[in-house]
Amino acid sequence: MLKAIVIDDEQYARDELIALIAEQQEVTIEVVASCNNAIEGLKKVNQLKPDLIFLDIQMPQINGIEMLGMLDPETMPKVIFVTAFDEYALQAFEDNAFDYILKPVEPCRLRKTLKRVKCKMQQENYQVLTDKPLSLIPCAGFNRYLLLKPSEIEVAYSDQSGVHIISQQSDKGAAETSCSLSLKILEEKTELLRCHRQYLINPNAIREIKLLDNALAEIVTVSGAVAPVSRRYLKMLKDRFQLH
Amino acid sequence: MELIFSLLQQLSVYLVLAYLLSKTPLFMPLTMLSGRLSHRLTCYVIFSLFCILGTYFGLAIENAIANTRAIGAVMGGLLGGPVVGFAVGLTGGIHRYSMGGFTDVACAISTTSEGLLGGLVHLYYMRRGLIERIFNPFLALVVLLIAEVMQMSIILLVAKPYEQALDLVETIALPMIIANSVGAALFMSIIQDRKTIYEKYSASFSSKALTIAERTVGILSGGFNQENTQKVAQIIYEETGVGAVSITDRQKIMAFIGIGADHHLPGTVISSKHTKQAIDNAELIFADGYEIAYQCSLSDHCKLGAALIIPLLGSENQVLGTIKLYEPKQKLFSSLNLSLGEGLAKLLSNQILNSRYHDQQTLLTQAELRLLQAQVNPHFLFNALNTISAVIRQDPDKARQLIVHLSQFFRRNLKHNIESVTLQDELKHIHAYLEIELARFSDRLTVNINIDEVLLSQYVPTFTLQPLVENAIKHGTSTQLENGIIDVVGYLQNGLVVLKVIDNAGTYCLNNNELQQGLGLQIVDKRLKNCFGEQYGLRMSCEKGSTTCAKIKFPFNKSPQGER
Repeated sequence: MLKAIVIDDEQYARDELIALIAEQQEVTIEVVASCNNAIEGLKKVNQLKPDLIFLDIQMPQINGIEMLGMLDPETMPKVIFVTAFDEYALQAFEDNAFDYILKPVEPCRLRKTLKRVKCKMQQENYQVLTDKPLSLIPCAGFNRYLLLKPSEIEVAYSDQSGVHIISQQSDKGAAETSCSLSLKILEEKTELLRCHRQYLINPNAIREIKLLDNALAEIVTVSGAVAPVSRRYLKMLKDRFQLH
Repeated sequence: MELIFSLLQQLSVYLVLAYLLSKTPLFMPLTMLSGRLSHRLTCYVIFSLFCILGTYFGLAIENAIANTRAIGAVMGGLLGGPVVGFAVGLTGGIHRYSMGGFTDVACAISTTSEGLLGGLVHLYYMRRGLIERIFNPFLALVVLLIAEVMQMSIILLVAKPYEQALDLVETIALPMIIANSVGAALFMSIIQDRKTIYEKYSASFSSKALTIAERTVGILSGGFNQENTQKVAQIIYEETGVGAVSITDRQKIMAFIGIGADHHLPGTVISSKHTKQAIDNAELIFADGYEIAYQCSLSDHCKLGAALIIPLLGSENQVLGTIKLYEPKQKLFSSLNLSLGEGLAKLLSNQILNSRYHDQQTLLTQAELRLLQAQVNPHFLFNALNTISAVIRQDPDKARQLIVHLSQFFRRNLKHNIESVTLQDELKHIHAYLEIELARFSDRLTVNINIDEVLLSQYVPTFTLQPLVENAIKHGTSTQLENGIIDVVGYLQNGLVVLKVIDNAGTYCLNNNELQQGLGLQIVDKRLKNCFGEQYGLRMSCEKGSTTCAKIKFPFNKSPQGER
């Protein structure tokens, strides 16, 4: 039994795919969530840790491929790409032997693809598709989605409740939102630098580095947010800014 | 007294010669003061001859010659300028010197100075731009008078012995002054007449040519076909007054007007060997009926007796067809029409070329339009089919409707040939398209259409609004996570139709507000401009993140033109 999530921006397309998945008897699949955009999808994937996702390519704001780049490679589910027509993406899937199905979905093609997935459930490396830096960081605001440009982020940190982002809002000073991307992904795919095991800092937003006792330090950002710097990362920061 | 009459007698013969010469084309350059080398050369040769002729016609008196040589020298100067005058005078003078006599040197010097005098007068009037005065016979009379007085003085000064010279001058002065002055005046008058006739001829030629050009302008731009060539042939027939006019393409008669129209029927394949020759060799053929025989190749009883066949040349001298002017057997071809024919052929060739160019432009827009129609984006098609297959499962009736809409949409797209439709039809097309898109984006797209009813019967080029709506969805609302809104509005404003497609995405801005315009939108704009004029068309405006507006403006109640 596989846990799956369907991510597609069209209601009818999701319904149809879920119906087809239910009809086939090749693999027992439970669709645990159906999401109407990549941001929602990201949240559900992180939350529900599915074995398999059906991922539409063309979606608003953040497309399927971009969303893939925001998932942690270590907990990456198996992906079946779904698209109506996208020459470039299809070429990439063919070249890398990734699984994909075309809309409208043929039941027998779906069965074949699922059979393949069942046979080799080991993790796949989607890096060829996802090694681009991120251009938008999806964050959950109060009752809305917030899409931040990496340059707007000042500090990202994690605690028990997840990843949080402190961003520079044009007039209101610093604002804090939660983000469904891991610090690791943010570190890899944005300019953010690690300054603490649980903190990332935007080097362009640093106003002050206060040196404290015990070779510790504290960073104050342009909009006044504070991030701790641990001993291990202070040296790297000093190297970076040539503060010797 | 007796000398005056005999000198005048000689003068008459001299002038008759001048008159006869004036009938030949040789005389033509004399009537224009072009200042070109060929003109000067002609002046020199002709007047040198008259100068020498004047000496020969002279009467021998007391070992000297009473003559009309001065006319040639002065006229040469007047019409050719100082250099020519000097040369003519010198030639005449040297010739006179070779005849000997006690005044030989004096005559040589005086003739040369007379030529120079004429030249200086020429220069005087040219500098002041009073060219017409030079042709005034009275001027010639006065200049000759002065020239003769000058000659007499030179004879008195130079010729030896002085007593003999004085004697001579007393005898010949009056007769020569009178004869030469009158002769020059008459000679100039002959030239002036010739000039007037020629100018009248050119004027009527130009006015005829201009009338034809004016009346035929634009007719062939509509295409080189039977209907249009018939119109052109009719105009040429009326304006030139020839027996008949025909226009052919490379294979057949396209138009024929005039005598013999009963058997020279449009559509008949060309059979005349002259015409074939004109087409094959791209040359003008004039079968005058005498030197080159002309017989109608279609009927033995044809009354036409002469034909002028001129090829119509296109780019790279490729023959497009011919224009033929005919005269009946008992009538001569006027030279006016002969030269007019060539000009006409050039005029028509240009018009045909122009029309071909225009055709190609139209073809180009048609090709672009087809491209636009074929651009029905595959993404739309497959998503539509996917949506329908899902709807079939849930609501077969609705699915059936969607299929009808989809086929309506495609049927419309396949109608390449319709160039313009009423706004109402265009809205139906949009409706079919939107039904599909609304089903796809059921939860996040709203479309409001609000078009003034008076506009519904207004004609617009096909695919004017639909691409804008498609654009608003594809690049606008479909990139929004939720709540996409598209407004299609239409109203009248100051006699102009204003149509707007507005979306609430505002994604169409590039940096520094530069507007990006895809091929589809470019074609929409181009076609509107084509139909209604350069000042109308499509304008995009965008406010980043909030709205994109595509706005079309064109005059109300005007059906699109310029496209067929």
